[in-house]
Amino acid sequence: MRFIRSNAMATAAGPVLFGVAFLAPLIAQSLEAASLPTPFGVAPIHFGLVLGLSLGVIAAMRGRWV
Amino acid sequence: MSAATSSLDTAAARQEREWKREEAAIARKYMGRVPWEMVAWGLGNFVLWLSIWPLTFTGVLPLWAAFVLSTLSTTLCYLPSHEAQHSIIATEGSRLRWLNELVGHVSTIPLLLPYRIAWITHKQHHAHANDPDLDPDIGNKGETWWQSAWNGIQARQFGAGHGYKNALRRSDDPNLRKAFSEASILSLGHYAILTALAWSGHAIEAALIWWLPRHIAMTYIQIFLSWAPHHPMEEKGRYRDTRAWRSPVGTILSMGMEYHVIHHLFPRIPLFQTGPAYHEMRRMLDERGCRNDRPE
Repeated sequence: MRFIRSNAMATAAGPVLFGVAFLAPLIAQSLEAASLPTPFGVAPIHFGLVLGLSLGVIAAMRGRWV
Repeated sequence: MSAATSSLDTAAARQEREWKREEAAIARKYMGRVPWEMVAWGLGNFVLWLSIWPLTFTGVLPLWAAFVLSTLSTTLCYLPSHEAQHSIIATEGSRLRWLNELVGHVSTIPLLLPYRIAWITHKQHHAHANDPDLDPDIGNKGETWWQSAWNGIQARQFGAGHGYKNALRRSDDPNLRKAFSEASILSLGHYAILTALAWSGHAIEAALIWWLPRHIAMTYIQIFLSWAPHHPMEEKGRYRDTRAWRSPVGTILSMGMEYHVIHHLFPRIPLFQTGPAYHEMRRMLDERGCRNDRPE
């Protein structure tokens, strides 16, 4: 039971970590691969970090990605 | 009145015992051998999945082909572990038990499904199939396959109060602690690998070889192994909680689940034997009122 409680905390932080650690570079590398420009000419990884973090925070708050 | 009811209950229980004896006599013919094809499938498929990584990174395999192969391999990885969960490969205490456990643990790594967690929750599915409160698979219920796919995706979101989490909360399985430790290691390992790949410039490869195939495979498995054989997931009981059915995509693409009724009646019958066992038992099962949506 204790594990399930601590696991619940980890799953709340999980989406934010996932957004930064995986989605951010995925977004950046996908933009580069598709030769797509980023808004305001920011570096793809910076754009990826903002978008990945935002998606992660939203998912953490909603309790779901979709 | 109550004496009459009790006598009817006793007669019904006696009849069910008699039916089980008759069915078991047939079922025994299909049990007991080591399903070597499942051992080869489980371990071979894992090796195939592993080999996709170096083949892609060395440029031998184009990324699109790696994605297709990985999705196929990940979709195929569950069933050998399922045989191991039911100790079909080797029972506890037998000489080949290590092989049973090896197949169980290794084959579902691509799917990120820990063997012991899978078994603990799957046992509850067998005990409470279609129960809205107790069946961990009830989240896959849906009127159509696409509704089931969507419900299944929703049910496995991290914050969903889904059946698997509840099943683990209820469980008093002695292996629960070990199961959680293994699940944590598998999950942390998975995300550590994805992160390392992503930050070393291989995020797209990581997404297309592991992350996305796993989600596609999970949905396919939920549709064919959970939704289709139990649809509409309304009835309970030995002869009503699952069914025989004819898949519109055939036996192979539906992963042998057309004979799922046999698996619930006799979970120790290997997957490849459920078809022959069904055909031998069919008349008997029809007499018992089994759900049979399979035209003769």
